[in-house]
Amino acid sequence: MTEGVVVTGLGVVSPLNPEGDLERFWASLCAGETGIGEVRSFDTSRYAYHVAAEIRRAHLGLSGATEEPARRMAEVACARALTHAKIAPFAFDPRRAGIVVGTVLGGTGAGEQYLRAERRDRERDATTLAQYPLRGVAALLARQTGCAGCALTVSTACASGTDAIGLAYRRITSGGADLMVAGGVDAICELSFSGFAALKALTADRVRPFSRNRTGLALGEGAAFLVMEPAHAAGRRGASALGEIVGYASRADAVHLTAPHREGRGLAAAATAALRDGGCRPNAIDYVSAHGTGTPYNDAMETIALKTVLGEHAHRVAISSIKGALGHAFGAAGAIEAVTCLLAMRDGIVPPTINLEEPDPACDLDFVPNRARRTTVRVALSLSAGFGGQNAALAMRARAA
Amino acid sequence: MSPPVRVSGIGIARTDGAGAEETAGVARRLSAVLAALSWHGTHGRLVHPIEEMALLAAHDALRRAGVRTPLGGEDIGVALGLEEGIDGIKAQYYRDILRDGPLGASPIVFPLTTPNTIAARISIALDLRGENLTLCAGTLSGAHALGLAMEMLRAGRMPVMLAGGATSVQGEFLDALSVAGGPEGGSPGCGACLFLLRFPASAAIRGEAGRLLGYAQAVGRDDVRAAIQACLQDAELAPAQVGSVHVAAAHESRSLVASLRGLGVGAPVVRSPSAGLHSASFPLAVAEALGQAADGSRGPALVVGSDCLVGAAAAIVHGDE
Repeated sequence: MTEGVVVTGLGVVSPLNPEGDLERFWASLCAGETGIGEVRSFDTSRYAYHVAAEIRRAHLGLSGATEEPARRMAEVACARALTHAKIAPFAFDPRRAGIVVGTVLGGTGAGEQYLRAERRDRERDATTLAQYPLRGVAALLARQTGCAGCALTVSTACASGTDAIGLAYRRITSGGADLMVAGGVDAICELSFSGFAALKALTADRVRPFSRNRTGLALGEGAAFLVMEPAHAAGRRGASALGEIVGYASRADAVHLTAPHREGRGLAAAATAALRDGGCRPNAIDYVSAHGTGTPYNDAMETIALKTVLGEHAHRVAISSIKGALGHAFGAAGAIEAVTCLLAMRDGIVPPTINLEEPDPACDLDFVPNRARRTTVRVALSLSAGFGGQNAALAMRARAA
Repeated sequence: MSPPVRVSGIGIARTDGAGAEETAGVARRLSAVLAALSWHGTHGRLVHPIEEMALLAAHDALRRAGVRTPLGGEDIGVALGLEEGIDGIKAQYYRDILRDGPLGASPIVFPLTTPNTIAARISIALDLRGENLTLCAGTLSGAHALGLAMEMLRAGRMPVMLAGGATSVQGEFLDALSVAGGPEGGSPGCGACLFLLRFPASAAIRGEAGRLLGYAQAVGRDDVRAAIQACLQDAELAPAQVGSVHVAAAHESRSLVASLRGLGVGAPVVRSPSAGLHSASFPLAVAEALGQAADGSRGPALVVGSDCLVGAAAAIVHGDE
């Protein structure tokens, strides 16, 4: 059995806490607030959809259009996570520390800016593109923190954030690192908005995960990072652990580029493998952070997958989706949801699935509708699924008091 | 010492610098593969050459290892390195929106604006339901994918991995990025190089094309030196045992040679002719090193690559005699 990997720091930037205040994020989420509203960062007048969960650029300290917001979100969330863990940048063995970033879009907004200038026949500013590469955020964070063991970028669609944390967890368990900072980031841009609009996957108003009247997802944005260490290293420096990552797995549906396997084959396989990896019995799960996008297909297949993995226990476990509050933040989504699981363990409260208005017979589990619930969470499972049939699952356990 | 990871099959498909005859040969092979997989268009159609190259390379790697596809199981995972390969697709997709508004947004092209689509395409076509991960690291994308696959195999997380890199190098964004201090422009063209890797204790898969003895990466100051040093440690190899050095970078730098000599690696240094194929460059250099090392006269080969943003990587490989 490998040694435990503990989480000692969390950092989140989301529409509910644009400045990165973790407690504000958690209080807003548990209060059932939503960050979804009219899109302001680009013109949606030509589209049939107009809502998303955005972070106002001014809240990020971005005054002009030249700085790519994803980079700033990641910088703030990463710095907050290290501060939370009481670790100063560069105050560790750099070659034994690494960064893993999950992202789908990287600096795509910078690419859009470059192409808009081209369209208007204006001079294109090549320096804008310095922010474009997907690996740019990982490189930036490695430079800023002093992590010199690795700077990995994983891009697995909407499972990116979960996979990033999973890969970091594995790097520690394999003895390859003593400190990992891992998470995800993505910022809304017109490219992704237009694509989901073309696929008719967006909602025109609210996101209603697992509700019979659900109409689709809303794009979201943000960043979340976790500081992870071997339990003995955290103990040696007197750090308090928020919880333990105990299992992770990724699995492919191998069915379709944009639609999930109807019975959640890949998601169930990932969850089963993650629980096996963590030595967790299915009936030990107290809370599931569902992917729950609010699209008809995702929520139905996820319900089936949970029944496959948990059996009868699926009807007893508290399950919630936070995408009604935060929209779908792509590469950041899985990382934000992992943070949610750890905070649920810390405080004994699970956030609600908001906008769950009409029970759906195809989604007949306990989705903690509309109000947060007090309950002990010792073991949590976080699920992510994405385009290309990507599926990932993380199993987490509370540290004994 | 960690037991070596076995290379059971290598698949390479590329069109960079290819003549009409070679390109036609690639098209014929692809057509035969798609027919063999009973590709009836139910999974969508291939819309970009990078999909074709990656699928062809994946299929060839599996075939050479004697794996029949479609597989239909979770025993084979995919780790694909890919970054700039989709830039041209993204740029064209967004140009269409700027020109035609929402009507310009093609639901067929849109999925290809995310890097993982290529690995997903492989998993769908060959029915590989194991782990599926896409790593983006510019010219080191393929290196990071190989390193991750080795880590997963050694840890027993997957018995068999299909790993490597794929790219479609298109001038425009890369040229602009190079002005901005980013990666240098590569060879125009498209290519993929994938290996079927297995851990020795895993299920019987035939095919022996060589061994991966070690891998490491590093970021920041002295990254090349740190990666080489850690890689030699991982392979438990003395610097003098390295028989040849293969550089997967567009230019053979003096600092690299100085690092090698400083570490005691005195082997001859050759620059990989495939260095311009960015995400595929490191795997292609590994394939070249395995081919050259197969005569057994030189001993293990060290493959070194670097990226302007995310550091350096090194691998030690040995061809089977």
